[in-house]
Amino acid sequence: MKTTGAFYRYLNRIGWLYILPALALYCAFMAYPILSSLFLVTRKWKGFNNTFVGLGNFVRMSHDGVFWQALGHNFFFMAIQIPLMILLALILAVILNQGIKRYRGAFRVIYFLPCVTSLVAYSVLFRMLLQTNGLLNNLFLNLHVLSQPIPWLSDSFWAKMTIIMGLTWRWTGYNMVFFLVGLQNIDTDIFEAAEVDGASQARKFFAITLPLLVPVILFSAVTSTSGTMQLFDEPNILTWEGGPSNATMTAALYIYRQAFILNSDFGYASALSYVIVVITGVLAYVQIKLLGRRD
Amino acid sequence: MAVVRYGSFGRFVLWILLLAGAFLCVFPFFWMAVGTTLNPNDVVRGIIVPGHEFRLNLEKAVKNENLLLYFFNSMKIALLTVLFGVTVNAFAAFGFEKYRSKVREGLFAVLLLALIIPQIALVLPQFRLIAYFRLLDTHSAIILPGVMSVFIIFFMRQNFRMFPNEIMEAARVDGASESRIFVGIVFPSMKASFASAAIYVFIMQWNSYLWPLMTILGNTKKTLPIAISSLMRVYTIEYGALMIVVCLSVLPVLVLFLAMQRQFVAGLLGSVK
Repeated sequence: MKTTGAFYRYLNRIGWLYILPALALYCAFMAYPILSSLFLVTRKWKGFNNTFVGLGNFVRMSHDGVFWQALGHNFFFMAIQIPLMILLALILAVILNQGIKRYRGAFRVIYFLPCVTSLVAYSVLFRMLLQTNGLLNNLFLNLHVLSQPIPWLSDSFWAKMTIIMGLTWRWTGYNMVFFLVGLQNIDTDIFEAAEVDGASQARKFFAITLPLLVPVILFSAVTSTSGTMQLFDEPNILTWEGGPSNATMTAALYIYRQAFILNSDFGYASALSYVIVVITGVLAYVQIKLLGRRD
Repeated sequence: MAVVRYGSFGRFVLWILLLAGAFLCVFPFFWMAVGTTLNPNDVVRGIIVPGHEFRLNLEKAVKNENLLLYFFNSMKIALLTVLFGVTVNAFAAFGFEKYRSKVREGLFAVLLLALIIPQIALVLPQFRLIAYFRLLDTHSAIILPGVMSVFIIFFMRQNFRMFPNEIMEAARVDGASESRIFVGIVFPSMKASFASAAIYVFIMQWNSYLWPLMTILGNTKKTLPIAISSLMRVYTIEYGALMIVVCLSVLPVLVLFLAMQRQFVAGLLGSVK
């Protein structure tokens, strides 16, 4: 048909027309910022003026103890909270999938509830719950579990635990729902075959269930890692501005404070944000390589 | 699925574990609701019996803290972002999926790259852009960067893949225009996917904190999360009134979740299918 060529060109134009608004917004709010940050990182702000410093921001960064300490906190939260949360979510998902099936739907809803709170809302709630004279300490004191209140928010160790507790409360159910979907997608024939072969419960779990769940676990590990790398709301509100004295300062919070609270130096803050970009990228790549190898 | 047989003691332990977890998940909601009826001291002390100060707290929240204005601001911003966001991203996803060309496939790959860039790296140059256009302290500053979402384009594209090309061909033979195919045929038959996308965009925008914290400077333009964090900043915190603000910020998402669980979870978990 002769019209095919013309009609194809017409459809091609429609294609461009449909993606045009999104493309324009992408250029304005993604592409342009990324390009302009290449300019930002080479400059230093003093008041409203900025001067070219080349790689000066990166040199300054290497001496910035607080930043590296903050980055260390990100890794600390990552190393403890993510495995803890994944383990808990996995246990709950397996219980709901195999152990107790009654009310599964209701439990799924309940465990997902923390996810409807905004990070700001739950941070505020936890901050109130964990005051030295707050509900949790009062409960423990009345039950004589503790003889002294725990300084959840004012001690550098406990403040870190507070962040870990908060994150675990907010995200375990979310990951549990993921895992439950993954478990329910596993073909039951495999289990029946294993049962015929006389495999034990534990063996079935480690030999069949876990390997088949790897892609789902991997996905939640990657998203949680990138989320923890960008931790901001919780240290800013729950433990108040990364306190006590920077004990829960995170990289993203420090960058924000460099840009808006402390020095208003967008050049230096941008240079710091490059570190987060690189680390997030590398971590995602490593996790996918490491865990993805098996299948 | 093979049923695991546990002894009655084993089952008992599992029940205890499940119920304890469920209690921990629900308790903060209960406590939050009770807190709205207590005076500030009782909130912190951890009284879990409802008090009589709901009206007083509500009055404080509405009069002193401008609760209704901030609720309205948040709602306006979130709904406008949903309206523009779902439209723009759905059209783009449909364009990428059903009107394929090599150039656009390449562009799509470039778009996806944006997914790996952390927010904190984007907001600094975005802030300068918004400041350059003199949009600081306006609601446009919050809405505009939230409209285009690579994740939603990706999600919608995955969904459009399931829409049969044959139906589009048949509609063309019947003389339907391209816009009519999308608006009149695709949209009505894929409402669930649109709902999932809308819910996702709504929650993202309703809950966003970092970006409004940067761009909203004055008192009248604040959103609920910003209002909450500034309520925590004062010397004597009005905990009862604060609880009301927190409740109101959680309520819409909670209702949305309970009413539309399927689409809700599909939107949040959309990327693993």
